[in-house]
Amino acid sequence: MRNTLGVLKNVFMALSALCFAVPAFAQGGTSGGANWVAISAGFGMAIASAGCGIGQGRATASATEALARNPSARAGIQFALILGLALIESLALYTLVIIFAKVK
Amino acid sequence: MPEQLFFTKLLNSIFAGPVTHLLRGLHIEPQYPQAPITNALSMEVLVVGFLLLLFIIVRSRLSVETPGGLQHLFEGLHGFIEDQSRDVIGHHSERFTPFLVALGLFILIGNLFGVVPGLESPTASAVVPLGCAVCAFFYYQAQGFRQSGVGYLKHFLGPMWWLSPLMLPLEIISHLARVMSLSIRLYANMFAGDMVTMVFFSLIPIVVPVVFLGLHIGVALLQAYIFVLLTTVYLAGAVATEH
Repeated sequence: MRNTLGVLKNVFMALSALCFAVPAFAQGGTSGGANWVAISAGFGMAIASAGCGIGQGRATASATEALARNPSARAGIQFALILGLALIESLALYTLVIIFAKVK
Repeated sequence: MPEQLFFTKLLNSIFAGPVTHLLRGLHIEPQYPQAPITNALSMEVLVVGFLLLLFIIVRSRLSVETPGGLQHLFEGLHGFIEDQSRDVIGHHSERFTPFLVALGLFILIGNLFGVVPGLESPTASAVVPLGCAVCAFFYYQAQGFRQSGVGYLKHFLGPMWWLSPLMLPLEIISHLARVMSLSIRLYANMFAGDMVTMVFFSLIPIVVPVVFLGLHIGVALLQAYIFVLLTTVYLAGAVATEH
């Protein structure tokens, strides 16, 4: 109980120290504004790549498990794996194309 | 004047006049009248010329008793695509093999041109993969009509007749989305590969970009294979008959 209170105290002190950075937002308004398109493009690409990574990870995991259970079915499993990975990859690539189209 | 590759400059110095006249006859004003042939177009012409040369060499050296190395390579490629289309489509799939091999070889050699210095991939420009996807689209639709006649349109109506007002717009949109996905997948893979190579070249010019050239070669092979594989799957959807 005492340890939790100590940890919470440190957490709130760190959060209040972060509030010292608030004047940085004032700077952006006068000098023309931050490039929100580029910032959101970075976040969008990161989210798309994360989703793609999770999807491809699951596809590869189940393909390797199926191969371990039934090594004689290698041709069919390999075919389905390559097809599935390429289709999932292309979803992340659509995000990349939008970024190239919109970010100067 | 746009930045031109060596082969583009060569083509433009010979053909700029006639090509500009042709474009103006079609009411299209080229952006640079002294250089109407773009890099992508000249690289496409080079790919087709290279492939024609390769085909002529193989054809002239065909032999049953003593096949050479190039003949083995082409037999292997032809057999690979024929086996794959037989796995995916079923019987009587041999008549699709010429188109699939031609499409696959064009995309493969086009992708690999990006590795050679002084050349660039025609598929790294947005219009070339679109052209390949539109060709594949019209090919499989035409094969569907050839197989089933007007009854091919029943494919767009879904499994049951009372679902057809819902299924028809969905099927049309999904067929058009196939064109978009085929073209964007190929274009984005090639273009992003070029971008990533240039970014790492600007960071570390010495050894690391070679790794990205290797990645580009791997991605070139894989994306050509995926394009042909997906065209085969769409052909199977259009042509397959239940027995």
